[in-house]
Amino acid sequence: MTAESEPGTVAVGAATVPPAARTRGLRKVYRGTVAVDHVDLEVPAGAVMGMLGPNGSGKTTTIRMLLGLVTPTSGEVELLGHKMPDGAAHALPGVGALVEGPGFSPFLSGRDNLLRVAAAEPLLTSAEIPNAVGEALERVGLAHAAGRRFRAYSLGMKQRLGLASALLVPRRFVVLDEPTNGLDPAGTREVRSVIADLHAAGTTVLVSSHLLSEVEATCTHVAVLNQGLVVAQGELSALLEAGTANLLVTTPEVTLAVDALREDRVAARPVPEGVLVDLTATTAPDVVASLVRAGVPVHEVRRQRTGLEDLFARLTEDTAVADLADLETLLPEDAR
Amino acid sequence: MTAMTVGAEVGAPVRRAPLLRLFRSELRMILRRPRNIIGIGLLGLVPVVAGIGISIAASGSSSSDGDSVDGLAALVDGNGMLLPIFALVLALNMLLPLTGAMLAADALAGESAHGTLRGLLLAPVGRGRLLAVKAMGVATVVLLSIVLMAVTGLVTGLLLLGGDGMLSSSGTQLPFVDGLGRIGLTIVLLTVQIWALAAVALAVSAYTEHPLIVIVCSLGLLIVSGVLSAIPALDWLDPVLIISSWESIGEVVRDPLDWAPLGEGVLRAVCYMVIGISIAYGRMLSRDG
Repeated sequence: MTAESEPGTVAVGAATVPPAARTRGLRKVYRGTVAVDHVDLEVPAGAVMGMLGPNGSGKTTTIRMLLGLVTPTSGEVELLGHKMPDGAAHALPGVGALVEGPGFSPFLSGRDNLLRVAAAEPLLTSAEIPNAVGEALERVGLAHAAGRRFRAYSLGMKQRLGLASALLVPRRFVVLDEPTNGLDPAGTREVRSVIADLHAAGTTVLVSSHLLSEVEATCTHVAVLNQGLVVAQGELSALLEAGTANLLVTTPEVTLAVDALREDRVAARPVPEGVLVDLTATTAPDVVASLVRAGVPVHEVRRQRTGLEDLFARLTEDTAVADLADLETLLPEDAR
Repeated sequence: MTAMTVGAEVGAPVRRAPLLRLFRSELRMILRRPRNIIGIGLLGLVPVVAGIGISIAASGSSSSDGDSVDGLAALVDGNGMLLPIFALVLALNMLLPLTGAMLAADALAGESAHGTLRGLLLAPVGRGRLLAVKAMGVATVVLLSIVLMAVTGLVTGLLLLGGDGMLSSSGTQLPFVDGLGRIGLTIVLLTVQIWALAAVALAVSAYTEHPLIVIVCSLGLLIVSGVLSAIPALDWLDPVLIISSWESIGEVVRDPLDWAPLGEGVLRAVCYMVIGISIAYGRMLSRDG
């Protein structure tokens, strides 16, 4: 419960620029089920923030509250400096969003669907609409399929159309909820390059994902949600480097290995899987060299994930979701 | 509708998509939907089919003189200007309510099911404005369907059944222009009644994302009020039943016109509209996108 980091600790230079989005004590209860609780999220202006968490961790609910689609049970939301949901008319024109998959009318063509989105877009004058739609289709590579019915689109094409509608006009803040869902590797790369382009243009991006690799590839900041709570938040590199690195050595000669390493002044201790070596004062090649010199048979040497990295991985890559009690013991002090 | 501008903390004017543009886009979507095109086209065919049927029945039995077709249909034979009114009253029983309910179901529940309602809310189209555009879209297409039926009915009636002017149910002959007036009056009265039902359907539509529920509820409402109005012990309920107005629609072909039941029907419909739209509005403000 107290594991979320202080919003003030992120993004050193961003103190003067107000964040693109900020939530305080956000809580949403659906018919007695707590979907999210105590969410204090801060998306610094200009950042690409990855929202990481397994399915059902509250990512989409948080995003929906951020965009004013859902009214929080309690707590505050600020979007581009406007209180949500009351300031929606002021804030939302600057926001492009793809939430819960692409929503379009199946019986209209891709172009007609975008024309419809464009008709509702406050920032476009009626004269600008045809061009904006054409460019958006071009940008996501759907120009050739623009006349086809949305019903006949593949999953990837649907996702691209959703992206096109989010980026119909230049935005200050783009929110993408699982944008790579259903995309093939090429499509995934394209989404990454779209995010990189947005970032280069100074647009703030919030992208949710249940894959650590996805977030690692694109994001500058990360917030990790689990069971409706923000369990970690901050700059990605800082969070990943937090904690100490370890090396797990698998060998039948555990005692011999520990003795040899201690002789070389390397901290090591026996664990059920083998020997766990602390890498703060040494490097993996040195450890292996020491072991080989001492004649220790080594089956396998594996870099062990550190606290947070392990946490992310467990939350986002494993099927089994660690329960909360487990998480709190896992979290090292420096996550706070 | 513009509640969002009031109390906004920033003085900058809010940019909005023009209402007319939203309305045009809404109409385009409704009229591009294949199912709607087919439905409206079939509605337009109803008077034609009815006209052909009456014409065949009449000519087949003309040798045996007289008692060929009964009731209103008998009145229509040789009296083509009555065909549109006959067809519209016929359609009021099921086809037009179904059309109204279907359009209202698509408007909010259907959009929600497709995920497009979310897109409109994110644009952002204010929730009040969104409901206004949706209600206007449904209302316009209902009117359009009824006008289409009246036009195809009138053309079919004049071509197949002929007749000079309009024979009223009181037995007097109305001149052509008066006949057109009665058709126009029927269009207005029926449209208002279907709007009333569609407003109730829109309220249901605001509560669900399953269009089928909206259609079932709307038609269920009609069936239940039909049953209630048929029970003599419950006659005291009649003034609030939506269907009570519908039974008096036949009055439009009486000469002279008795405005009292017709006016009462319109008033009842307006009450239903106010209630339906109010409930829909209340729900839209709190609805999750």
